[in-house]
Formats: sequence, C-alpha cells, structure tokens
Amino acid sequence: MATTTRRWRSPRPRRRDEKSPVAGRGGFLLLRALVLLLMAVLVGQLVRLQVVEGERFQQMAAINALRELQLPVSRGLIYDRGGRPLVYNRISYDAAVIPADVRPEQEGRLFQELGQLLGVPPEELAAAFREARGRQSPYDPLVVKEGLSREQALALKEREPLLPGVRLLLRTVRDYVSGPALAHVVGYTAPIAAEELAALQGLGYHLHDWLGKTGVEATYEAILRGNPGRLLVEVDAAGRPRRTIAQRPGQDGSSLLLTIDLDLQRRLYEALSAQVAPGQVAAAALMDVRTGEVLALVSLPSFDPNLFARPEGRAQAAALLSAPGKPLLNHALGELYPPLDTFKPLVAAAALQEGVIRPDTVLRNLSRYLMVSNPLDPRAVSDIIFDPQVLGELDLGRALAQGANIFFAQIAGGSPEGGLRGLGEERLARYARAFGLGRATGIDLSGEAAGLVPDARWKEEALGDPWRPSDTYRFGLGQSYLAVTPIQVLVATAALANGGSVLRPHLVREVRTPEGRVLAETREEVRSRLGIAPEHLAAVRSALVRAVDEGVARAAAVRGLRVAAITAAGEGGHVWLAGFAPADQPLVALVVYMAQGSVERAGTVAAQLLDYMFNQSGIAQALREGRR
Amino acid sequence: MIRERLARHLDPLLAAGAVALAGYGGLLIYSASLSSYPQGITGPEHPLVKQALLAVLGIVLMVLLMLTDYRLFGRVAPALYGVGLLLLVAVLLVGDESLGSRRWLSLGPLQVQASELAKPFTIIALARYMADRPLDMARRRHFLATLAMGLVPAVLVMLEPDMGTAIIFGSIWLVMALLGGVRPSYVALLVAVLVLSIPLVSAAALSDYQRQRLALFFNPNLDPLGGGFNVLQAEIGIGSGGLFGKGLFQGSQTQLDFLQTATTDYIFSVLGEELGLMGALLLLALYVVVIFRCLRAASLSYDLFGRLLATGIAVMLLVQVFINVGVNVRLLPVTGIPLPFISQGGSSLVMTFMALGLVQSVLLRRRPFEP
Repeated sequence: MATTTRRWRSPRPRRRDEKSPVAGRGGFLLLRALVLLLMAVLVGQLVRLQVVEGERFQQMAAINALRELQLPVSRGLIYDRGGRPLVYNRISYDAAVIPADVRPEQEGRLFQELGQLLGVPPEELAAAFREARGRQSPYDPLVVKEGLSREQALALKEREPLLPGVRLLLRTVRDYVSGPALAHVVGYTAPIAAEELAALQGLGYHLHDWLGKTGVEATYEAILRGNPGRLLVEVDAAGRPRRTIAQRPGQDGSSLLLTIDLDLQRRLYEALSAQVAPGQVAAAALMDVRTGEVLALVSLPSFDPNLFARPEGRAQAAALLSAPGKPLLNHALGELYPPLDTFKPLVAAAALQEGVIRPDTVLRNLSRYLMVSNPLDPRAVSDIIFDPQVLGELDLGRALAQGANIFFAQIAGGSPEGGLRGLGEERLARYARAFGLGRATGIDLSGEAAGLVPDARWKEEALGDPWRPSDTYRFGLGQSYLAVTPIQVLVATAALANGGSVLRPHLVREVRTPEGRVLAETREEVRSRLGIAPEHLAAVRSALVRAVDEGVARAAAVRGLRVAAITAAGEGGHVWLAGFAPADQPLVALVVYMAQGSVERAGTVAAQLLDYMFNQSGIAQALREGRR
Repeated sequence: MIRERLARHLDPLLAAGAVALAGYGGLLIYSASLSSYPQGITGPEHPLVKQALLAVLGIVLMVLLMLTDYRLFGRVAPALYGVGLLLLVAVLLVGDESLGSRRWLSLGPLQVQASELAKPFTIIALARYMADRPLDMARRRHFLATLAMGLVPAVLVMLEPDMGTAIIFGSIWLVMALLGGVRPSYVALLVAVLVLSIPLVSAAALSDYQRQRLALFFNPNLDPLGGGFNVLQAEIGIGSGGLFGKGLFQGSQTQLDFLQTATTDYIFSVLGEELGLMGALLLLALYVVVIFRCLRAASLSYDLFGRLLATGIAVMLLVQVFINVGVNVRLLPVTGIPLPFISQGGSSLVMTFMALGLVQSVLLRRRPFEP
C-alpha cells in the first residue's frame, strides 16, 4: 500500500496546466488582481471619508444628535408704584413642527392628522412647511398654530409621541390689564424679528422667542426676560430626546415697580382722550419735580398692546404704523414741536440771571406790533411780531401772564431803539441747553427724539444761511427752529419748579426678584444744574402763578390749589400747557400738548388731573409723605 | 471515499471565513437593532435570533451541498434556470412591494428574495452551457446564447426595479463568458455599445425611481431630508467613525436611528461608524480571503464546469460586496444590494452559504479520479 504518500492534508495542489484554451491560469491571475483592485478602490474611499475628512463628519454627526433645548422661564411682571399689576402672564400653547424630524413619506399623514387636530386645512400646513424649509434651519421648530385651546393642547400632547417632529410649545403671553391707557409706557412683546435675532443671537435668543418691542418691555428686556434654562440633549432621528447631556436651570425674569400711579395714569388718559378728537395727536405727562419719577404719561392716539399676542392681531397691528396719528409712536417723546410760549419762562429766567432785565423792569409798549428791520437795509421790514392786544406797560409777571410777545422778543433780541440789550442768540441757546433742551432727557423709553436748539453756527452749517436778528426774536418766542418734545418741556418746567435741578425722568422705581426682594432702586438723577439764582427762579414761578390766576392759563386753575402754568397756542391749533403745583412748594410738574386743540381744553386736562390728585384722592398727600 | 475527500481537500479557510463573516454580521445586526430592542435579546423575534437560526440553516445546507456532487446540478441546469426565471417573473406579478420595488415572494410564512435564487441558478446554467462546449465557445452563436442567458434574468430584475442585481447578473456573465472562452472581441464590442448607449438608456429605460436615485447620488443635498437622507447619513456615519470607530454600540448615527435600514442595505455604515477604518479593513480582508479561496477552488478543479461554477460564485460575491460598500461610501448610486453574510435577510444568507457549499463540493471533487 502506498500509504506513505498519503498525508492528512492533500499535497500542495498543482494548478492546472496553462495550455487549456479556456479558463486558464492567466484569467485567474487577472481575476485576483481585479478583486484586489476593487477592494483598493473601496479602501481608498474609506480612508478619504474616515481619515482625511473624518473630523468634518464627526462634527456633522454631533450636530445630528445633539440639540439644545430652551427651558422656558416666566417673564418678569410689571407693577405700578402702588404694587398693582399692570400685566399678567398667561400660558399659551403653540403647535410646532420640527422639519428635520419629518420624513417626506410621513408628511401626508402627519399634516392630515395635525390639520384635523388643530382645525387647519392640511394643505395650509404643507404650504407653510415647504415655505419654512428654505427659510429656517430644519432643526428650529416651525410654529404652525398659535394659541391652542386647552382641549387642543391636551389632545396634541397625547398624540405627540405618535406624530414624529410635532411639538407642543409652551409660551407665556402677556395680558396687559390697563390696555391702551398704558400702552406707550408698558409697551408690548411680539415675536423676534429676523434682524433682531441676528443682533441678539449671542444673548441666547432663538427663532421663536418673543421680546419687548416698545415701552419698558423693551427698555428692560434683559431684566424682564430672565435667564432661560438650557438643556443639551441627545436626540434620535425623530427628534425625541433620549438622554440629557447637560443642564443649566433657568431663572425667572425680575419684576419692575414703575413710578407710574395707575389711578393718575387712567385719569390723565381719560381726561386727555375726552378733550381731543379720536385719532388726533396729543400727549401729556406728570412728573415728581423732586425725583424725576414720571407719575403718568399718555400719548394719543393709543393702541391695545394685547393686539400683538395673536397672529391675527399682529397683522392688524401693521396697519397701526401708518394709521392717522401714528398710534405706535410715543408722541410725548418721539416727535418734535416748537415749544412756543412754554419757552418764555426759560427766557425770563435767563434774562434775569444775565441782568438783561430785573424783576421790576417795565417795558412800555404802545403798539400791537414790533417791526423787525433788515440790518442791511433799515427801511425794509423783515419780520413783524404781534401782541394779542396793546398791553401798555409790562413787567415780567404781567408779560408772562398776558402772553406778551413783543416783551419777550425784546429781551431776546433787544429793543429796536437800543434801550435794551437783548440776550442774543448765543446766550438763548446756552440757557435752552441748560434746561435740557436739544438733547434726549434720558428717560427709560426708547425712541426719544433729541430736539434742536438752534444757534448761528448751526444755521450756517445746516441751512447755509446766516443768523438774522429776526431769528433771535423768534427764538425768544419759542418759535422758528427751536424743536422740543413734551417730555423735554416737562423736565425744563420741573427744573424751574424745583429750584434748578435738571432731572432725568424715569419710569422704574425698583427691580424686584420674582420672590419680591428688591434688586435695585432708582434714585433721582440730577443731570445738570441751571446755574440760575433762586430768587430769579422764584420770580418766574410767581409770574406763572399770575398766568393761572389772572392770565392766559386760567383754565388750569384748581380750587384750593395754587397752580403755576403757562399756555401756548400756535398756528394750526398746536396747544401747550406747562406748569407745576403747588406753586409755593412744588410737588409735580405737568405738560399737555395737543396738535389740534385749544388753551381751554389743555387747561381742563391739567385742572382735572391736579384736582383729582390734590383734592379728590389722597395721592398728593401720600406722595409728599413718601408713602406712595 | 467521501470521508477521505472531505478530510483531504476540504478548504477549512473558506468555511471559517464564511462563518466568521456571518458572526461579524450578527454582531453588527445586534448593534443596529439596539435602538429598536434596547433590552437586547429577549425573545425569538429579535433580528439576531432569526439571523442566527438562518445561519445555522445555511451552514447545514452548505455541508449538505458539499457532500453532494455538484455535477448533479449541472445535469439539471436547464430546469434550475427555468425555475429561476419563473421566480423572477412570479415576483413581478405577485411579489411584495417594499420601498418602491418588488423583490420578495411570500411562500407561506417565508419571504424569499427571488433574485437570490436566480443568481446561483443562472451561474450553474451558464457554467453548464460553456462547459459542454469547451472548444466551441468562440463562435458567435454561443456568445449570443450565453448573452441571452445572462440578459433575461438581468432584464427581469431590472423591471422590479433592482438595478444592482441586474448589474450583478451582467458582471457574472461577463467574467464567466471571458473565462469560458467567448471571443474577447465580441465582449469588447458589446461593452462599447453599452457604454455608448448609456445616455439613451438612462432617458428611456430607467424608471423615475431609478433616475431620482441617480440624481440624488450626484447631489444628495437636493433633498437632504428626503431621498438623499440615507446617502448623507450613511456617509456621515462612516466618516465620523474615523480610524478606530466610536466603539461597538456607541455610534450615534446608528443608535439614534439616523441610519435607515441599518441592519440591511446600510449595515456597512454601522460598521464604519462603530468600528472605524480598522473594522472595515477587517471585513474587507475576510471577503478577500473567501473570494480568493473560491478562485483557488476554481483554479484547482480539473472540471471545466466546476471551474466556471466556482468562478461565477466568486464574482457574484465580489460584485455584491463592491456594490453594497460602494453605495455606503458614496462611490456608487443608491441601489439596495445585501452585503453577503452580513446584512440581515434570510435569502441572501442561506443562499450565500449554499453557494460556498457548491464551491467546497467543486474542491472536493476537483480531480476526475483520486489517485
């Protein structure tokens, strides 16, 4: 037996001879080479993906799987100075879809079911979905319906696990209890706009955040908003959180205690509304002359800040921007008007301080008009200034009380005969600025206009025209180029009343934690001092009392209260009233502006408000004693 | 007699390679189904249990085929080929549709992918035809006859539509025909005609579904959340795996369900993500071993039928691996081809084991008679 040739394994097999015409050895060599070549191609691509570009893909995988969720916190509340709430938070349920989590093949069923749940046509959902795809990141929730009913919200919550990509979002909505009466003070919140988002993204704002747009809601956005919590979660492909990677608890927003007195505010809103036609521009404000606390501030026409809470309302709100009277604009500080006669007390104080006149200086005026001649051609008349009537001999008190124009034109520009050297343009401008005109008052509301105090250099540069004597006369009457906001007139009037302190008006007294602990208190801030001697200010004050007692501001008289005020009426119905009370120990300053009105109407508003404050309610007493 | 052959000629490396691949696949299937079965294996419905049972069935059938003389199949080749075609026709008529194509036949509780059976049957038929005419194959009529034999099943699967399997049929025919003695110039001419007609075919013959898939291959960002999703997510998965992977069961793409069909067509992405380049190289190395051993069996056989049969099987494996991995790494347009031994799915697993049983059978009987 040839057992010796047998081995456990077959002997190393020989390949078959190569002479066969088919299936030869060369073919197999080529095949092996082909196997290796194809594998090399795969390996090459693998190396490219995993080694060369590995890092990029690792980042993409991380973006896929990690998502930052916001933990909602509740927005800080806003109270009036007595602690009465001006706004409430209410929970609103929104239905949203995260596009990244919806596969195309699921869309039809999803929209069908969601549409049924929400009462929205599925085609509408699909259209909104397609439109959003190009516009926003697919990981950002797309809100398909705001403000679900409780039943809808519950039903949606129940179905959430079965509807991939669908989320029920909770959001706090503001209920502004005082409505239009406080619209310009409190402001409103609305969804963040694209450009705001771009600017605020660093602060952690997201596509679907709401934020304060105007009023203290906007000014104190950072305080009210709080600190939304962050949750870094790992999500699966359907966007369902699987695991929390990191968590930072949120912090509710702090609350604001305003300087506004809700009763006064309502009173002022009603009184002013009653005196102007609907849609007409008017503004009024009341300020504590000792501290700069704004007790009431109204701008008409107003709007309902609750409009912005619902999408239909926001669509309407767009029309508000262009509605007559521009309701969204705060006319108390956003628009400029000539101050007219309300500027005269300032001129008077300046003239006394500069020695242009003394309190007992009497100017005789036997004419109703003053001709201002052209300095280059003395025969030509360049301007004529009228008095309401021939006023005869005038001292400062009578001049202010009677609405004398020629008197003030003369102390501004000098008398034509040369008997009186006027203040001149340069000093007028200097004093106007000292009273805070020509710059923003710094009130804690956005959109404040700075105004304009003209002088020769400004006119030269801005208009390319030299300053003329008539400009100085008109300056002294609060006309021509001088432009102010009602709030600036209020601050200037308060400075007269409080002995020369130009205060920064403010609307917030305290910032409180959600638990009620006081975080910050606003103190009065004296921005500048007038630099006018107290006796001169006192002289002006008593002149303003005369204006109420026997002069132009009689309509502002209040029984049992010494009111000091000046009124002004200009071309086209512009009406002002600026004043303070009580005259001997000033507590509050007041300004009323109407674009279409009468001195009597403005006076009525002031009288009603002051009567309410000092006589009908205990507000004035409480304020003086620091109880309120 | 058989015992001795077994002992002497059996290729343990081929068998070990196949079993190792199936084991590797089991591991990946387990990982890919963790998100659906977070508790692991709790009952017989777990995909890994099913796959393991099918692997056992496949190994048993492999051994049985190994013991059977492969020439038996040569004798019934026309009948097998006919059955293969019938199945492909049947699947078009009564098949189950899934993901836009009809590929499965329900036989009672079993779902069979018809093309998985048609592939080996066509290989057997082609091998038989060529082996019967060893000196005659250069003639044009034989060229045309084998071409027809390969073309008919290819066209039938293309109608499902299953472009990938059609390409596999074509590749098998191409290599077997060249090896079987068809005149190379005919093949060259045919290839030239095919290449030139690609634009026409893509315009006319491809279904919308296929055209869309092709378009997405070239730019998956066209629809990153739709049809392009899988392509992109697979690429992200593999790319993020890096050199050593994120660790078994640790791939975020896999475990958080970003990968669709992670246990079947895209199982290679699971591997690439969790075990990285090293894991992928190991897999490809195992395939090279198995394919090389098949080619070795072919080159050792004295029987032309056996040589062609083993070669056809080797080519079938090679092309399937290349297409599946190529799709996963975005070298090729999306087409659903299972990764042999790895992808979940009984038809492919059992048939691949059986094909290797045939190869072993060829190897055992490589000599006309034993010395």
